Amino acid sequence: MSDNKKLAFLEYKSDQNVRWCPGCGDHAILNSLQKTMAELKIPNDQIAVISGIGCSSRLPYYMSTYGFHTIHGRASAIASGVKLANPKLSVWQITGDGDALAIGGNHFIHVIRRNIDINIILFNNQIYGLTKGQYSPTSKRGFISKTSPFGTIEYPFRPGELTIGARGYFFARTIDKEIKLSVEVMKAASKHKGTSIVEVLQNCVIYNDNTHREITDKKFKDDRTIVLEHGKPMIFGKNRNKGLVLDGTRLKVVTIGEGGITENDILVHDAHCEDPTIHLKLADMEYPEFPVALGVIRDAEAPVYDQCFIEQMDKIKKESKIKSFRDLVTSGDVWEVK
Amino acid sequence: MSELRLMKGNEAIAEAAIRCGADGYFGYPITPQSEVMETLMALKPWETTGMVVLQAESEVAAINMLYGGAGCGKRVMTSSSSPGISLMQEGISYLAGAELPCLVVNVVRGGPGLGTIQPSQSDYFQSVKGGGHGDYKLIVLAPSSVQEMADFVELAFDLAFKYRNPAMILADGMIGQMMEKVELKPQKKRWTNEEIEKMHPWATTGKKNSRERNIITSVELDSEKHEQANIRIQKKYKELQEKEVRYEAIDTEDAEYLLVAYGSSARISLAAKELLRKKGHKVGLLRPITLFPFPTKQIRELAEGLKGILSVEMSAGQMVEDVRLAVEGKIKVEHFGRMGGVVPTPEEVADALEQKLIGGQ
Ligand SMILES: Cc1ncc(C[n+]2csc(CCOP(=O)(O)OP(=O)(O)O)c2C)c(N)n1
Ligand code: SF4
Ligand SMILES: [Mg+2]
Repeated sequence: MSDNKKLAFLEYKSDQNVRWCPGCGDHAILNSLQKTMAELKIPNDQIAVISGIGCSSRLPYYMSTYGFHTIHGRASAIASGVKLANPKLSVWQITGDGDALAIGGNHFIHVIRRNIDINIILFNNQIYGLTKGQYSPTSKRGFISKTSPFGTIEYPFRPGELTIGARGYFFARTIDKEIKLSVEVMKAASKHKGTSIVEVLQNCVIYNDNTHREITDKKFKDDRTIVLEHGKPMIFGKNRNKGLVLDGTRLKVVTIGEGGITENDILVHDAHCEDPTIHLKLADMEYPEFPVALGVIRDAEAPVYDQCFIEQMDKIKKESKIKSFRDLVTSGDVWEVK
Repeated sequence: MSELRLMKGNEAIAEAAIRCGADGYFGYPITPQSEVMETLMALKPWETTGMVVLQAESEVAAINMLYGGAGCGKRVMTSSSSPGISLMQEGISYLAGAELPCLVVNVVRGGPGLGTIQPSQSDYFQSVKGGGHGDYKLIVLAPSSVQEMADFVELAFDLAFKYRNPAMILADGMIGQMMEKVELKPQKKRWTNEEIEKMHPWATTGKKNSRERNIITSVELDSEKHEQANIRIQKKYKELQEKEVRYEAIDTEDAEYLLVAYGSSARISLAAKELLRKKGHKVGLLRPITLFPFPTKQIRELAEGLKGILSVEMSAGQMVEDVRLAVEGKIKVEHFGRMGGVVPTPEEVADALEQKLIGGQ
């Protein structure tokens, strides 16, 4: 490991030429991931990065860790296999919105439901990048693309809603170029035991440029996003005077200092709460009615499949009368042929 | 009126589908054929002929949407490239088992696995030997020009409905991507529901008192009955073999050597044949147009007067096995091919024939 903390991420860089388009958001996400690993000081040989197919899925080539570049849509299943075969590995799945939510939607919800301890980084550019610009399951309704020249007539998935709907216990959101925030949420994802989903709002400069711009642009980001922190009041805005409250069963944006609202009225973020009701509302917030939630939205504890699997095996082994091969072959009816 | 246009093979598929009166297209993007769906979407046939075009969430979804549409007696199709076609195999087997007509277009790229996006012919076995589970076959047409990409759409639908069996157009990245002049046929009307009811009494068109319910299924738990279903299906394949073989024979009358090639390889082999003729070798070309039914009998008959056959494919050698089966060991049959998306040159093919057949005697 490098002594220089600032350069420690270089230890996770491979010697491959990075082949994403110049200006693609993927470059920054790669950087964040390498920094996360450097900060967590996970040894390179204990990391496996598993991807499906898509531009985003090229990421494993650029990491000096173990890596699989696999099948379109199947990364969750393959990552599950890796984690169960070698539970000691820190397993990261890299996937796109098409890879994870269209063709891989089935595996995606099931890895979450099982709660296998892998970290899934979902690059959401709301487009099929690699195949040159068809709409994806996260493209906004009405979105114009090569396969929807007159606008889509279907509603998009919201990855947070889907995660929680599949009984997920960790969901975070970040922006490609916000490296500091990305490192924070990736670290939290890594520490979380169970399946962690990190949605990264990623810009595809070629086929869907500026798709997230109305919330990610520096000029208005502070007013149109809220960075959630566990235990802290949900305050946002350039002047930090806006906040979220519960109005009946709905979230509502209020201004501190207006209508008698004080900081004490603002909801305090409880990411660890098992009940996902508020998390779902937070994850679903959309501009312009609401600020878009960033940071760790949900981080609750639940039994983890790979650990339970090991414990179950250990218990069965301990309780079983069969301790050897000899025990096994003599455990049923036994005949002696003379 | 027919119309002359310069277009890509993939675009020709889309145009021809609308013009022949197809009812639905369901697909998922994959290189090198995403232009099929993109062209259809741009042409908006739902506003003109009423044809449905839908981007599915995967190839598995797409082929099963075909299953649904085909069961209603509609002319439905999909297109994809190798990895996507592999995903469709389960659905294709069920469609064949349920005796449903549909069209699947495979613009083949190099495999195995994700392979490459460059042209290849390595899905021959998968296409002509079934591909999914069970004893079934697809009707497989192999276009070697953009014109044939267009023409085979209607032909494939016609054969699929005549024999109530899925049909496949087996193209490759080269035919899909290259541009050529095409004569497009005039627009035909889509079948009305009344026409479908009349023509396809098996379709799920709503139960009338005058007939039994139509149930679309491929399952029969009674093995005796299921064997009967299999026998019925095999009978169709035999009939196809007898009646529907299509091929092109060029300069075979005086030939001592024969090139057998389909699709892009046939175009390359045609140029190779010219090179060899110029050198004084009597070489002909046989281009199978239907890969199933394969021109087995025709090759067998030709072989009588030949010294050797070179099967040319962009694969490790798949069709060559069917050529060998056809000639039953009577003459030498060799294979020449490039793999992984490499397209051979006519010179390479000519050299291979000289080395493997003429020089090697
Ligand atoms: C079975 C199969 N179908 C289709 C494809 C073609 N394909 C490759 S990546 C991709 C979608 C890419 O979109 P996304 O997952 O959002 O990743 P991005 O490129 O945007 O990062 C598609 C349709 C494939 N490789 N395999
Ligand atoms: S096509 Fe888009 S997503 Fe793919 S590398 Fe280029 S900018 Fe990035
Ligand atoms: Mg994408």
